[in-house]
Amino acid sequence: MAIATYKKLESLSNFFYNDGLEKAGVRDLSGAIDSLQQSLKMDKNNIDARNLLGLIYYEIGEVVAALSEWVISKNLRPEDNIADEYMDMVRNSPAKLENINQTIKKFNIALNYCHQDSLDLAVIQLKKVLTINPGFIKAHILLALLYLKGGNYDRVKVEAGKVLKLDTGNLTARRYLKEAENMIAPGEGGKLASDTSSSKNDDIIRYNSGNEMIIQPRKQSAFTKSGSIWGIVLGMILGIAAACFLILPQRIESINSNTKEKIANISEESDSKSAKIAEYERQIQNLKTENDKLTKEIGGYEGGDNTSISSASNSLMKAIGIYLNDPSDIDGMVQAMDKVNIDSIKRSSYPDFYALYDALIEKVGPKLAAPYLKDGVDAYKKKDYDTAIQKLNKAKQYDGENNVNILFNLANSYYEKENKDAKDIAAAKELYKKIVDDFPNSQSAKTAKTKLAEINSSGD
Amino acid sequence: MLNFEEELKKFKPSLEIEDAEDIIYNQDLDDMSDVLIKLLKDAKQEAESTKRSK
Repeated sequence: MAIATYKKLESLSNFFYNDGLEKAGVRDLSGAIDSLQQSLKMDKNNIDARNLLGLIYYEIGEVVAALSEWVISKNLRPEDNIADEYMDMVRNSPAKLENINQTIKKFNIALNYCHQDSLDLAVIQLKKVLTINPGFIKAHILLALLYLKGGNYDRVKVEAGKVLKLDTGNLTARRYLKEAENMIAPGEGGKLASDTSSSKNDDIIRYNSGNEMIIQPRKQSAFTKSGSIWGIVLGMILGIAAACFLILPQRIESINSNTKEKIANISEESDSKSAKIAEYERQIQNLKTENDKLTKEIGGYEGGDNTSISSASNSLMKAIGIYLNDPSDIDGMVQAMDKVNIDSIKRSSYPDFYALYDALIEKVGPKLAAPYLKDGVDAYKKKDYDTAIQKLNKAKQYDGENNVNILFNLANSYYEKENKDAKDIAAAKELYKKIVDDFPNSQSAKTAKTKLAEINSSGD
Repeated sequence: MLNFEEELKKFKPSLEIEDAEDIIYNQDLDDMSDVLIKLLKDAKQEAESTKRSK
């Protein structure tokens, strides 16, 4: 491409840039935008034009468009570019940027409401937008349009005025302003042109008094109009619905919450009682164990075969009494002593009882043993070994330490017993051993040795 | 009298920050010199094709 053509294009671009700059100087922002866009169409590398365009976009509330121009500008000329400063300005105030983004979103929502014919909601939304970002020209213009649609021409004038203050060359604002002025221009009979068209529909009277517009609603009786009654009915229905949807769920939730709390309390109480029951059961078990132990101990005191220590004492006393009265009454003493089960009374527990018992046995033991020995030997001879063992054990109790015959016959009874078991053999072996140890020179000791040898050899 | 619906159509949604990247990438940056270069290129191609056909 010829350099002359390129120079020409560059010159045109500069011309438009200068035009844009001039317009921006007098706040004709719309005109400036047009000129700067033209400038960039001529030469996309006109950095000043692009940066200024971004600045104007920023001024009218189009932050994203502004940022995109500056980013492109920075891309085209990375060094010595004022776009850096502009972008830093935005970057250093993220809260403000977020705020502006929120207003943009709200504006888009308002626009959506307009398309859905929810004009009241759109007006509310746009008012919010303009409270946050009063320089957002597009929002002002849309609000003016909505006022125009709603017949609020004074407000249209206000909004259009604000726009023209920010952007003197805004054609849309001028058109809306003109439209509003036309609508509020005095018509026939002092009434507004707009009123002549709208009064038929909305039943209100408007007129100008000097510079003020007076809007006078027609007086109506609320009860004569069916619309009002319907309004009251609708209000009641809405009230009931609100009660159902707002109060009732809260109440139900409150009841549920109370119930849950009660259940939790009961559960806690139940847990605590379960723990107590477990504790009591444990205590009962301990007490039972202790009771069993004590019962056993008492049993020990009383004697294993239901002969209590007291009855044993009584029997011993009776035997001693017989001995004291008549030492020759052996039968009487035998009968009395027969009731004393000495094996079930611990020596260590009743030392006094044993002292008395031993004293009596020392005096009359051999005499007491004699009838038992006789009966035992007789039974042994008859091969009635069980009776023999019983009788001879009794004899051993009274005179077992001194009378080898008792020990020998008892040992033999155990050894020769029919169906003898290991316990009987052990008892026989012990008795034979005692005979050998305590009475080594007796005839019985020799036999006992032989028997012991037999037992040992059979055991091997 | 303005037509509300027609006026409303002129309003486009404002660009949101989230869309900035797409806008930058998709912006048409062609200027007059690009258009002229393209025109010259097309004319040259046309001339060559005409020459070949002859």
